[in-house]
Amino acid sequence: MSQTFYRKGFLALAVATAMGAASFAQAADIKIGVAGPMTGANASFGEQYMKGAQAAADAINAAGGVNGDKIVLTAYDDACEPKQAVAVANKAASDKVAGVVGHFCSSSTIPASEVYDEAGIIAITPGSTNPTVTERGLSAMFRMCGRDDQQGVVAGDYIVDVLKGKKIAVINDKDTYGKGLADATAKQLTARGVKPVLEEGLTRGEKDFSALVTKIRSVGADVVYFGGLHPEAGPLVRQLREQGLKDVKFMSDDGVVTDELVTTAGGAQYVDGVYMTFGADPRMLPDSKAVVEQFRKSGYEPEGYTLYAYASVQALAAGFNGAKSNKGEDAAKFLKAHPVKTVMGEKAWDTKGDLKVSDYVVYQWDKDGKYHQLEKQK
Amino acid sequence: MSAPTKPIDIKQSLIDAVIAGLLALIVFGPIVGIVLDGYGFNLQPGRVAVLVGVVVVGRFFMSLFLQTPKGVAIAQSFENSGSGVHVLPPGYKTRLRFIIPLMILIAVIFPVFADKYVLTVVILGLIYVLLGLGLNIVVGLAGLLDLGYVAFYAIGAYGLALGYQYLGLGFWSALPLAAIAAALAGCILGFPVLRMHGDYLAIVTLGFGEIIRLVLNNWLSFTGGPNGVAVPAPTFFGLEFGRRAKDGGIPIHEYFGFEYNPDLKFIFIYTVLFLVVLAVLYVKHRLTRMPVGRAWEALREDEIACRSMGLNHVLVKLSAFTIGASTAGLAGVFFASYQGFVNPTSFTFFESALILAIVVLGGMGSTVGVVIAAFVLTVAPELLRSFAEYRVLLFGILMVLMMIWRPRGLIRISRTGVQPRKGVLAKVEGA
Amino acid sequence: MDGIFLQQMVNGLTLGSVYGLIAIGYTMVYGIIGMINFAHGDVYMISAYLAAIGLAVLSFFGVESFPFLILGTLIFTIVVTGVYGFVIERVAYKPLRNSTRLAPLISAIGISLILQNYAQIAQGPRQQGVPTLLEGAMRFDVGSGFVQITYTKIFILIAAFVGMGVLTYIIKYTKLGRMCRATQQDRKMASILGINTDRVISYVFIIGAAMAALAGVLITMNYGTFDFFAGFVIGIKAFTAAVLGGIGSLPGAMLGGLILGVAESQFSGLINSDYKDVFSFGLLVVILIFRPQGLLGRPLVAKV
Repeated sequence: MSQTFYRKGFLALAVATAMGAASFAQAADIKIGVAGPMTGANASFGEQYMKGAQAAADAINAAGGVNGDKIVLTAYDDACEPKQAVAVANKAASDKVAGVVGHFCSSSTIPASEVYDEAGIIAITPGSTNPTVTERGLSAMFRMCGRDDQQGVVAGDYIVDVLKGKKIAVINDKDTYGKGLADATAKQLTARGVKPVLEEGLTRGEKDFSALVTKIRSVGADVVYFGGLHPEAGPLVRQLREQGLKDVKFMSDDGVVTDELVTTAGGAQYVDGVYMTFGADPRMLPDSKAVVEQFRKSGYEPEGYTLYAYASVQALAAGFNGAKSNKGEDAAKFLKAHPVKTVMGEKAWDTKGDLKVSDYVVYQWDKDGKYHQLEKQK
Repeated sequence: MSAPTKPIDIKQSLIDAVIAGLLALIVFGPIVGIVLDGYGFNLQPGRVAVLVGVVVVGRFFMSLFLQTPKGVAIAQSFENSGSGVHVLPPGYKTRLRFIIPLMILIAVIFPVFADKYVLTVVILGLIYVLLGLGLNIVVGLAGLLDLGYVAFYAIGAYGLALGYQYLGLGFWSALPLAAIAAALAGCILGFPVLRMHGDYLAIVTLGFGEIIRLVLNNWLSFTGGPNGVAVPAPTFFGLEFGRRAKDGGIPIHEYFGFEYNPDLKFIFIYTVLFLVVLAVLYVKHRLTRMPVGRAWEALREDEIACRSMGLNHVLVKLSAFTIGASTAGLAGVFFASYQGFVNPTSFTFFESALILAIVVLGGMGSTVGVVIAAFVLTVAPELLRSFAEYRVLLFGILMVLMMIWRPRGLIRISRTGVQPRKGVLAKVEGA
Repeated sequence: MDGIFLQQMVNGLTLGSVYGLIAIGYTMVYGIIGMINFAHGDVYMISAYLAAIGLAVLSFFGVESFPFLILGTLIFTIVVTGVYGFVIERVAYKPLRNSTRLAPLISAIGISLILQNYAQIAQGPRQQGVPTLLEGAMRFDVGSGFVQITYTKIFILIAAFVGMGVLTYIIKYTKLGRMCRATQQDRKMASILGINTDRVISYVFIIGAAMAALAGVLITMNYGTFDFFAGFVIGIKAFTAAVLGGIGSLPGAMLGGLILGVAESQFSGLINSDYKDVFSFGLLVVILIFRPQGLLGRPLVAKV
């Protein structure tokens, strides 16, 4: 299954490169780069980016393109390393791309966006939620997703209002994403008068968190919030349960939104009841219905960031069309002033490049290893 | 083939091939042939068959080749250690006299033609040249295996980033200061580890490298933790290279009134970096011919003999650590301004291993070798970019193959021989 | 508080016994050819994949009972991982036997990269896992608190010590063990006395890989999840444990592993888990400053 998945990804990449090569023949093309982890530990997200972006580009090209030009996509692999991110950002600038959809890891997006800014390229990240991404006064850096501080507020409020947590342990994975999110949640909890009893980090790549779990037990926490990704969230929740903390509520973030959480936790019985925050599932929106159908027809489930990447390409195209120019700066000005209709509904950006409305909601996992949006959000 | 001394034994080759095939089947069978899918699996026998086939055929031809005279010679070359320094005849003039000016000429013309991407790759290559040269002093010359070299690199990079944030230091003032800070750190690390030998030293330095990275990652209030720190763009007499002025300077294109060019920042870094690399190369070249350089090498060959000859091994080792570390500090400053942002993910153990690979692959102690190896190891992953997900795999294979092909490095250390003066010789003969 | 302290002790011992098992591979290889085998952590990673594959295949053929399942998986994993150890040594280290000390080190780093990416390409970048095999836990009341140990952890402790015992027996009392020790003492002399040292070195790699395989099965059972990058962190920790105990010494590797595991657990329990790795590396540095040969290592005799 995963192999065919892979091959398709490779094909898509090959097609993209071939199209990139062919683009020399036609003068009237507009190049858009898709930057993200095409290899390495987060390669599956890069795949989602590429799938979503390709589908959007095909749809827009079929409908007449951007200012009469056809969109040509090129993939840029950063493997989620800042060093490589700068290298590919410069490669994209050398290739004279007009806009970039990317990157994925915040620690890659931040240095790469400096390069784009210097080169006057507009960039929209479908997945980098760290606040710093848009906090540095860059004129053409946008986000298709929410910010960690927005997500942290939703999580903090939910813990206080619905879970009625009294003693809360906030754990992070000491990485840009997880740490930022855990801090935002802890800040909101403190603001609501429930100061976390424990704030600590674990090391990514490790699997033994029993010492930390014992510590959680020793402070008598009733809610555990974890800012991080599923490879660590799974073992953490399992070890909590294994040390006899059956009633402690576990909440996490949009880094665990994948079926692999069940695998990493060692079975659906361990993820039963786990809460998490995530953007309202774009696959459920009325606007995305047709596109999702089309994806499913081609045998691909538009999971995770696929539709975010789709919407990012749409936003870029709308920006160029609206500004009647293929220049990044003009498109950026247009997007900041006008809302855009995308597959994820109508989106509008503020002057920093953040979405005006964030749509984080709380989900819960059930005993079959599936997640559902909760009815009761407040 | 010219007539071999022994007839080629095809049967033996066939047996070799079959054994290799069996081993390949066991090795590749489960991992490649059975792909996990949740708690179940899918079978992929086709891929195994291809891999095993390649191994069998490859082993067969290798076995045949190793029986030819040429192959026998190659096999024997693995048996000989061939250690020691290659001594050139006295009065030997190296070809580098011609190559060095040519290289400098190419380096000067290069930025005019290169596009931004190539420029950044070359900048990375030059940064690794600096790192390789520094580690070469510690490992190659002084023979102290340092697996935490990346710590000094991190100190340099964070020196610029934090120096700017807290003290308002710019690129130019950070350059010497970071080198000094890294040198101090080298000194501090050097003291306790003087008693240790060989691989104990290796693990302590590895621990030191990890400690520095972990502190950078965890000391959130000071270093920004995993969020990293922004690094100012370099300036040139107060002129900035950005599109807009950020640090109170004037953008250079406005000052001189030409059109904005985003490549300019990188051309500037490249130019300064290139000059620094040249300077370090020269210093290193002189050092190896000075008493301290000779002392490093003597200490590497035999510590006890050195100490009985009256060499102060503490000073010698510390000087190697200090000078090596300061070079890494310089490289760190360039890396930080190249990237415009630093966070701890750039300073993992893997980076130390890569730098060590540059030194070993280049030929321990050889300057030219290090320069070549640094470029090979930084440019190769970029060239392999078109192989997508196979990129790092191929890089690993390349590393192993290069090591087997040239176990002593690309360039062996050689030294020009010395001819005793005539007068001295005559006197001895006369006596 | 007592309960918490004891619980951290248990946590530390299970973690430490696993470090110890992997540390054996480092320490044996170092003892015999003086080389740090950086690929060893990734050999463990491969064995984790093999364990999961073994379990999946066995359950597919309807093996349900725990003893058969675990025994079959163990045998399968140990054999195949042993072959990995053998092949890696033959391909990447043997040609470098007579060259500089650092050449095999670089080759090992290359092998480490190869193994990681090979596993990623062959099996996909996703997180892998195995279902929980042994459910349930034992619970002891201690004073005001309690200590809870899962059956899996008890199994790990027993299996690790049995593995260590078997290995110690082999090294101490069998012919193979004597050959290993002779080669470790003086390779040239051993080969003059008629020991095929190349073969002994191969055996050592196979044994090291087999111990990593045992660790692979146990860890996979306990944590239930792994990925292609799993060997890196644990490899560095195990290597630290080997050096801590005195590299080249088998009981040292186990002792170093246990000390490291307990130190990590207690430090993160009592002080702060953010700095637990800083603490363990700091501990290593301090111990090596006062005992440069490690806890149980033989002191280096400088030959003049």
